[in-house]
This record gives sequence, structure tokens and C-alpha cells, in this order.
Amino acid sequence: MEVDTESNIQRKQSIYQSMDESFEIQKEMYRGQQYSQIYFARLHLMRTLLYSLVPNWKPHLPVCTVLGLEEGKECIIVGTLYKHMKLKPSILDEYSKEKSAGPLVKPHNFIHPDDHLVLEDESGRVKLRGNVLLPSVYVTGLVVALHGKETGAGDFWVEDILEAGLPNQIALPLKSGEDKYVVFVSGLSVGNSGSNPLQFQLLVDHVTGHLGDETEQSIAAQIVQVVIAGNSVEIPLGLLNGQNLASKDQSKLSEPIKELDILLTQIAAGVPLDIMPGPNDPANFSLPQQPLHRCLFPGSSAYNTFRSCPNPHSFELDNVRFLGTSGQNIDDLEKYSEAKDKLEFMERTLRWRHISPTAPNTLGCYPFTDRDPFFIESCPHVYFIGNQDKYATRLIKGSEGQVVRLICIPRFGETGIAVVLNMGNLECHALSFGTEFSS
Amino acid sequence: MASSTRGGDMKGFFRQRKKSGAIAKPKGKKSSPKHSPSASFEIASLHINDDYDENKEVLLRQFDMNMAYGPCLGMTRLARWERAHSLGLNPPEDVERFLREAKVRPDCLWDGRV
Repeated sequence: MEVDTESNIQRKQSIYQSMDESFEIQKEMYRGQQYSQIYFARLHLMRTLLYSLVPNWKPHLPVCTVLGLEEGKECIIVGTLYKHMKLKPSILDEYSKEKSAGPLVKPHNFIHPDDHLVLEDESGRVKLRGNVLLPSVYVTGLVVALHGKETGAGDFWVEDILEAGLPNQIALPLKSGEDKYVVFVSGLSVGNSGSNPLQFQLLVDHVTGHLGDETEQSIAAQIVQVVIAGNSVEIPLGLLNGQNLASKDQSKLSEPIKELDILLTQIAAGVPLDIMPGPNDPANFSLPQQPLHRCLFPGSSAYNTFRSCPNPHSFELDNVRFLGTSGQNIDDLEKYSEAKDKLEFMERTLRWRHISPTAPNTLGCYPFTDRDPFFIESCPHVYFIGNQDKYATRLIKGSEGQVVRLICIPRFGETGIAVVLNMGNLECHALSFGTEFSS
Repeated sequence: MASSTRGGDMKGFFRQRKKSGAIAKPKGKKSSPKHSPSASFEIASLHINDDYDENKEVLLRQFDMNMAYGPCLGMTRLARWERAHSLGLNPPEDVERFLREAKVRPDCLWDGRV
């Protein structure tokens, strides 16, 4: 087959640097450590940070511990928030004689008007009151600084609140006028009986430049990276009932992964590909989820463009920093707090400087003893979460000139939508694949 | 206040345990270090050459009970010392030396009891 060299289109390239070290569980193992350790590490980290911010915030006020509070004296306290929730499911409810408190106001949301916040540090805990601090916004596990005073009843009346805020950001590389695109996709759900394999095949063909005319191919050539943010396969639940599998069922179990591998091989042959595990994937349950094993992908793992990554996942492309998860952190916040949309939850996690404050309370998490990997040390330029109902995006700006592109990636299997980000200007659009035509 | 009285209670609890247990000797010495922790380090370091494991144990227990270095349960004393060191909390160097000599209990006071 002859190839016309003049019309050959070269794919653009970019420099990739993985920042996943902190999300990898290497030598750590379970030796009976408890979750108090990760809370200690978190409190220590965040408190040191907040103490450094307090002099610029309210220099005239003394800083106290919870134990050092005096009635009527205005001061600043720093500690971990705990949200007392009436409707929060508890394993002990099964054994209690009283019936549970009441029906849920909304399905899958445990907020109740009676919820209240408590602040704790090593010395003690104090109940928080006041109109500034809305319990529906905050969640357990967050470290904040509060300005207020102790009331006669022994509560702490909150007058102002200081969150850690957006961290410092490395400068965006100067605009080269060159467009380079990153494609995000999640919730492929290969193996789901309802999903349409043609949609994903169309995406693969588009990314690899097998679709359309030269104009379209030249656009496809500007795609430098594909990121798959979780839930790539769906293993039929009926098979996993604790019984031994018959041999024909075993092949049914591995079928979706084989199919996925065939498709990923096509992508990896042309474009660098990062795959993150999600809640439905054959990976560990607790965060940080460890990379899917290479043995699952005998075809695509032969390419050095294929990278199996942890969840959360952080990397740099041409000095643009990316941070993302497969969505568990935001989905959990949605159960235990309220916001007008998913993007607001995402923005909060950045301003709190913590990817998933609800871990380990309501979200599975490895019991780290000496660090808290979910602490956000450096502000990303792009923050993405996978497996959401619909595509949404927003650009937020920090007080020190930080600019962050927030992206909710919809489930591809249900919506047929992938997300394309232009690294040159952080602009973002949806890439929609339809396969049904009205007759 | 609450934490100091609680700490006192725990110390009382341990003295009682020690009376019944084998370690009763250093009781007299222990009363002075209880008031000033720096003095306790001096006393402990005087006996490094002797095989006064009880004194070391007292110092290590004080280290276990010091909330500034974080919870002690579920990790070895050395791991806890190293964490405190890496977090910049300046844990006492004597503690590390004793733990590296390996003649003392590697686990914290509460290990296996709760």
C-alpha cells in the first residue's frame, strides 16, 4: 500500500510527567493501624497551614485550643469538623430497638435540619453554633479555623470562618498558539447489556484519526492524551453471588475486560492513554485505588503509551497540571452535604484543599499513618471527576491568580459524551457520539 | 484541664499495674520525673549503661502518652517516633536511641490491651 508522504499528518506530542507517587501504596501494609492516625496527620498538616494564614486574616486575635477556651473571650480555634447527622446510616441501627429517626428527605442524601457541627482537636471538642457556619455545606473530616467565642452554654459561637483556600499554582506555560487536546472519558461500562459498542468504537476511530476527511483528521492529530476516568467495565452482578463459578461463567466474567483491552489497544497504538480504576472496576475498593493490573490488558499493555494509573490521579502535560478522580469523592459529598451542582462540590474540595474530606468517615480509605495523600499541595490547572450524570464545566479563579478548569465527565455508556480540553487555553467542549437515527 | 486530669488518672492506673507486676523498683525515682519531664530524661540517660530497662520503659511510656506526637495505637513506637520526626515535632532523641537498641518493647503501652 502506497502512502502519500505529503498528506501524512503527524500527531502532536507533549511531555508527560506522572505525579502519582503519593497515591501509591507501596511498602505500606495493614498492621492494625486505625483511622485516628490519618486524622492526626491531616490535622497536623492543615493546622500548620492555617496557623500560617491566621496572621494575615485576623492578626489581633489570640489562637486557642478547644481546651483553652474561655467564656466570652474572642479567639481563633483550629480543628477538625465533625458533622453530627441524625439520618446518617449507622451499622448499629440494625440492633437498636427504636426505629430509625425518620424517612430521608431526598433519596441518597442524609441531610436533616437538625444537623450540627462539632470542632475537635487533640484537647477536646466543642459544639458549634452561629449563622455563619452552615452545617449543610460542611462535612466531617475537614480542618478549618474559626473565629468566635464561647457562650454561656459551653458552645462556641462562630463569627467567621477561614478555609485553607486554593493552594499555590505553578505558572501556566506561555501560550504557544498551538492547540493540543486531551480527551477525557469515563463510565465506558463495557459489558453492560444496555450500552452500545458502536459509540465507543466511533470514539476510538475519531481519536485515532480513522474518521472523517483531512480536516477532521488534522484535528484528531492534535489529541495528545486520552484519560479514562473509571468504570471502564461492568461485570454482571448476578455472577458475583459468592458461589463458585462454573467454567462458562468464568469466561463471562473476563469477557468485558477482553473486549475493553481490544478497544484500548487501538487507542494505545496511536495516542498515550491513562486508565484509572473506578468503583465498578476490578481494583481495590478503598481510596486511593491502585492501578489496574497490567495482566488484565495483555494487548494494550504491550505499548509504552499505555499507563495504568491510580485513582486519584495526578499528572503534568507540558507543565499543565491535572488532578482527577473517578468521582467517588464528589458523589460522597453529595450524600452528606448540599450544593447547587456538582461543580460547586468540586470547587469546595479545592478551597478546602482536600480531595476527599469524608474519607475515611463515609468513604473507604487506606489507613495511612504518616501522611494524608488527599491533601492538595499544589493547585492543578485542570481538575476532573468521572462518572457523573451530565457534562458540566466551569473556570474558577483564586485570589492569587490561580485559574482552574473544573470538569464533570459524564458516563460515556449512557450519554455517548466524551470531553475534550484544549491545553492551550483551558477551553473545554463535549464530544458527542450518536448512533441512533430517527427513521 | 480535662486532659491533664485524664493523664493523671492513667498514670495512677499504671502505677497500680506496676505494683502488681514485676516492675516495682523504680517507683521512688519515678515520682520526681513525673513533675519535670526534662529531669526524667537526665535520670534515664544516667542509666543507659546499666540495664535499667524499667527506666527506659518509663520514658517510652511517657512518649506513648504524649498526645503531641499523635495516637500511639496500631503502630510501633519507632514508626511513631519517625512520623513525629518527619512532621517536625522534635521528639526526644533518647527515645529513638532506646528503641534502636532493641532491648525494649517495640509496641506501645496499649498494644494488645484494648
